Amino acid sequence: MNKLPLTKQTWTIAKIEMRRAFFSRRAFWVYGLALFPTIIFLGHFLNVKFQRIRLSATEITPPALLDSLREGETEEAVRQRLGKAPTDYNWERRRRIRDSEDTSGITTHRIEPAVEARYIRLNIYRPTHTGDNSARIAEFEVYGGNDAVNLAWNRPADGSASCSEAEGPEKAFDGNPQDYWCSSAGNKYLQVDLGEAFPISRIVLKHASAAGKPEELNTATFNIQASRDDKRFETVVNMTGARLVDEITRSRRMVYFDGKREAVLDFTDGKLVNKNIRLLLNFEEDRSIFAGVFQHFYLRLAIFFGCLGIFMNLFRGEVLDKTLHFWFLAPAKREVLLIGKYGAGLIAASIIFAGGALLCFAVLMGFHDSMEVQAYLGSAGIRHAFWYITASVMGCIGYGSVFLAAGLLLRNPIIPAAVLLGWESINSFLPEFLQKLSVLHYLQSLCPVPIPMDDSAPGLLRLLLVPAAPASRIGAIAGLILLTAFLLWIAAIAIRRMEVSYSTE
Amino acid sequence: MTVSKIVLSDVSKFYGDVLGVNRVTLDIPAGITSLVGPNGSGKTTLMNLMSGLIHPDAGSIRMRGISPRDPGHLMRITGYATQYDSAPRWSTGFSFITTGLLLFGYDRSEAEKKAWTALERLGLTDAANRKMAAYSKGMRQRVRLAQAIAHEPEILILDEPLNGLDPLVRAETIALFREWAAMKRHVILSSHVLQEVDIISDQVILIANGMIVAEGRIRDVRDEIREHPSQFILRCSNASSVAAQLFEEDHITEIRLNEDRMGLLVLTRDRERFSRALGRIAGNGHKIDSVIPADENVDALYEYLIGEEK
Repeated sequence: MNKLPLTKQTWTIAKIEMRRAFFSRRAFWVYGLALFPTIIFLGHFLNVKFQRIRLSATEITPPALLDSLREGETEEAVRQRLGKAPTDYNWERRRRIRDSEDTSGITTHRIEPAVEARYIRLNIYRPTHTGDNSARIAEFEVYGGNDAVNLAWNRPADGSASCSEAEGPEKAFDGNPQDYWCSSAGNKYLQVDLGEAFPISRIVLKHASAAGKPEELNTATFNIQASRDDKRFETVVNMTGARLVDEITRSRRMVYFDGKREAVLDFTDGKLVNKNIRLLLNFEEDRSIFAGVFQHFYLRLAIFFGCLGIFMNLFRGEVLDKTLHFWFLAPAKREVLLIGKYGAGLIAASIIFAGGALLCFAVLMGFHDSMEVQAYLGSAGIRHAFWYITASVMGCIGYGSVFLAAGLLLRNPIIPAAVLLGWESINSFLPEFLQKLSVLHYLQSLCPVPIPMDDSAPGLLRLLLVPAAPASRIGAIAGLILLTAFLLWIAAIAIRRMEVSYSTE
Repeated sequence: MTVSKIVLSDVSKFYGDVLGVNRVTLDIPAGITSLVGPNGSGKTTLMNLMSGLIHPDAGSIRMRGISPRDPGHLMRITGYATQYDSAPRWSTGFSFITTGLLLFGYDRSEAEKKAWTALERLGLTDAANRKMAAYSKGMRQRVRLAQAIAHEPEILILDEPLNGLDPLVRAETIALFREWAAMKRHVILSSHVLQEVDIISDQVILIANGMIVAEGRIRDVRDEIREHPSQFILRCSNASSVAAQLFEEDHITEIRLNEDRMGLLVLTRDRERFSRALGRIAGNGHKIDSVIPADENVDALYEYLIGEEK
């Protein structure tokens, strides 16, 4: 029997194990994580593509005309110069507001046709425009056929409880607008008896400001009712308020397209108030989005959880399937088995995640203008791609060893995952020597493009997202490999002591 | 000389507070050795210890001079068919054995040839390319056996290898063990039924509660068992008079009368003479309603062999 060299045996184990790493049902969602950025970018590009088709349906606007737009121009002027917009929305916004131009505090309510009535009643629902709960009416005038005579003048009046004796209902019918009726009762009303039935055609109310009070105290919501017998009341003036008017704002958005840039023009009441001209497909912006997605999502979450799925299962999956003893009964040192399995996981994880990053990068390149892409690839592009792949692979190496060791030492994968995720997040606050025990710490300095970070972001957030990076990439790779070697050494001790005992799982 | 033996010295293994095996010392020569004991007596623990799947808390093990902590060397000369009824999801019987052989360093064609030979020996060639998940329990048992012998190991450890085999395959399997033993190799198998293995074993090790109870050539162990008294429960109408007559027989060692005076518990050293005596008593006009053997189970046997109360 020829004795197998260790490297060849390790490779044999890795080849067998790769089937599990690539196709295990437990690790299938790993592909989803790796492809997620690609899917997002594809969606973005397809959206842009559809938008471009839609915008190009009508004539394309010459770029110079887009640049000539000035705020304050009228709709008509813009349409005459630029022609019909490929996208054109109109909408109106209606707002009921107090009329700020009329400050007299007098409202006139016409009743057509005239109503025969002896009793006229004012019901107040919202007494003021402020929090003040007291209704105030300076004069309540009722007119019939002869428009000059106030039928309610000095007639017997009734009303809800007054604020004070000096502010009784009669003050609203005394012809003197300087004093007023005031009531803060729950149900506020004011009623007058005309003595006999008259045809009523007009009612005039003088509110608080007519008596010299602030206009905010004018009655906000009320209605008026009329009756012949003081029993059955007919509403003659529907719910209304003192000087409420409707304000209509006409808005319009027109989008023009010059083949590359779209100009979004916002008009209010026919005037251009806002213009936003931007590239429909911005290569630089998309690259910086890619850098952000790569660091915040891909390194921190996708590779983290992907390696959790692949490497935790290398041994734990065998225990769950009750197949670990087949490996332990093979003529191989336990350490060789460990390295073989780690190698298989590493190959699978690296292909999946470096492949996922590269695919996303390729999609990014594929949808942009080929001139721009070539210029980028000619300068920094290839280097960037290389470092994205390196960071992905180093991530798999680091997180792989962490989860391999965790899978051998611990039963439940959730706890170490949660602890580690927490550890990686708070790492930047720790003393420097502890920072070196984090995978992310090294990975971030391998990324070719700094994370796009808005200066307006809160300081705490910035601290969380951008840990202090080690000095050099060589240092980062060396640190990561040292960390991995240390973890594999721990894993080797664990696997040498490991026993097959499925029943206790 | 010790190089060709399996030697366990003072081996103990605990599972937490639970005892697995306690201070086991064995010196096993080549040939067929059977570990016999009731369920939970420590047979599988002993086999797992020998193959390095678990490690002893105390004592040392040498398998033909090799420590089980060195699987790189030990598993080259050892094949172990466990009782774990599991297989990788993806594998067929053929690919399962071939894959195992690749780890020995055989190239693929050589591994496939050896796998096929092993499957042939266990009559599994028809099912070789079916998924193991679709096998019957007995077939999976045979595949594990085939895997254990595929690399022609000098030490063959088999946990309950005859369980679930039909009589024909069982006979072929036993023939295989004998062939192996004839080549001065070790065949160690376990069983919880002594009768099943006593004719094929060169040596029997009786184990109960994690301790070795009896060990040696099969004839010596069998003699020990033959003298094991048998218990019977008699139901009869005139129990005390039946008891008086039975007491005259010299093979009867003990009689206990039931409180209702309708039943007897009888211990005898000789079943045949006991049944002849019963015939005579019935002929004398005593009515015997039933005779029930009270200890036809393995536990009673071991209780006797251990020679102590539970």
